[in-house]
Amino acid sequence: MEIKLRPYQLSDVDDFMEWACDDQVIRTSRLRYYTSREDALDYLKEVAIPHPWYRAICLEDRPIGFICVKPGSDHQICRGQISYALGSKYWNKGITTVAVKLVISSVFEEFPDMERLEGFVNVEIKASQRVLEKAGFQKEGVLRKYVIVHGKTIDVIMYSCLKTDQTN
Amino acid sequence: MEGGGNEFTGEITLRPLELSDIDDFMVWATDEKVTRFCSWEPYTNKEDAINFINTKVIPHPWFRAICLNGQPIGAISVTKNSGNDKCRGELGYVLGSNYWGRGIATKAVKQVANTIFVEWPHLERLEAIVDVENPGSQRVLEKAGFQREGILRKYMLLKGKTRDLVMFSLLSSDPKS
Repeated sequence: MEIKLRPYQLSDVDDFMEWACDDQVIRTSRLRYYTSREDALDYLKEVAIPHPWYRAICLEDRPIGFICVKPGSDHQICRGQISYALGSKYWNKGITTVAVKLVISSVFEEFPDMERLEGFVNVEIKASQRVLEKAGFQKEGVLRKYVIVHGKTIDVIMYSCLKTDQTN
Repeated sequence: MEGGGNEFTGEITLRPLELSDIDDFMVWATDEKVTRFCSWEPYTNKEDAINFINTKVIPHPWFRAICLNGQPIGAISVTKNSGNDKCRGELGYVLGSNYWGRGIATKAVKQVANTIFVEWPHLERLEAIVDVENPGSQRVLEKAGFQREGILRKYMLLKGKTRDLVMFSLLSSDPKS
C-alpha cells in the first residue's frame, strides 16, 4: 500500500469531492461542505493549488484525502500548523499517520525558519489525536473553547512536533 | 512583577489612551525592564510613540491605559478575531516597573475580565500567553483566576529567539475571582 503526497490538480476534482463531500469526514473535522462541482473547482483553484503547502494524500496515485501545513509569518514564522482529512473508507489503516510522518520528514527543510509544527484536534475525535501521537507529536494541553466548528465552540488538544524532536 | 504584600495607594481605572498621554506613555515604553518579554524594543523617540498611538492604539478594537489616580502607568488590550476564531481574544498588558509588586496588573486584568465578555457577547475565551521565564506575569493571571493550560514550545520568535510560552485562559463561564 503505497502512500504518496503530491499537489492537487484541477483534474483531481472528482477524487477530491469523494472525500471532501463525505459526511463522516465533515462531521469529524473542521471542514466545510461543498455545494457543487463548481464550488469544489473554485476551492482547488483559489485555495488548494496556490497554497504554500497543500498536498493530496494519494493511494496508488489517486487522491483520497489532503494534508497541509500553513506557515506562520512575523513573530510566528517559527511555527507551522498541520491539518488533514482522509476519506472514511480508508480510515483505520494508519494512512494518515504515514502522511503526517512524510510531512515531518520534509517540511522543516522546505521552511527553514520553521522550528515547530503544531496541530490542534477536537477533544472528542480520538482517532485524529492518535494520528498525531503515533507520528511522534507531543501533547501540550487542552485549550478550552478555542474555536468554532459547525456552529459550536469546542475544546481542542494542542500538539507539537519540533524540528529538534527528530531523532532519525 | 507581582510579589510582596504591598497594597497600592490609589484607585486603578481603565480608560482609552490618547495622544495627550504621550509623556506618561514614554515612561513605561522606554523602559527595557518593561519591554523585556514584549515583541517590541523600547521606544527611543516621541515621533515613533505618536505614530504607534495613531496607527495602532486609536483604531484598536480594545486598548486601555491602566491609570493610577487618573494617570496612565501602563496599558492593557484585547485582540479581536473573526470567523471561526471569534470566540477567543488575546489579552496583553504592560506596567511601568516602578509600579510592579503591588497587585496593580492583577487588578487591571480582573477589570478587563469583568467587562469584556459583556461588551463582546461572542467572546467565550480570553487567553494570554506568557514567557516561561516570566513568573511575575504568570502570577498576575493566576491571581486573576485564569487557568494554566500548558506550555507551547518554540511558539513565537521574539527578539531573534524562539520562546516557550505558557498558555492561560479565562472563559466567560469560569467563576469570577
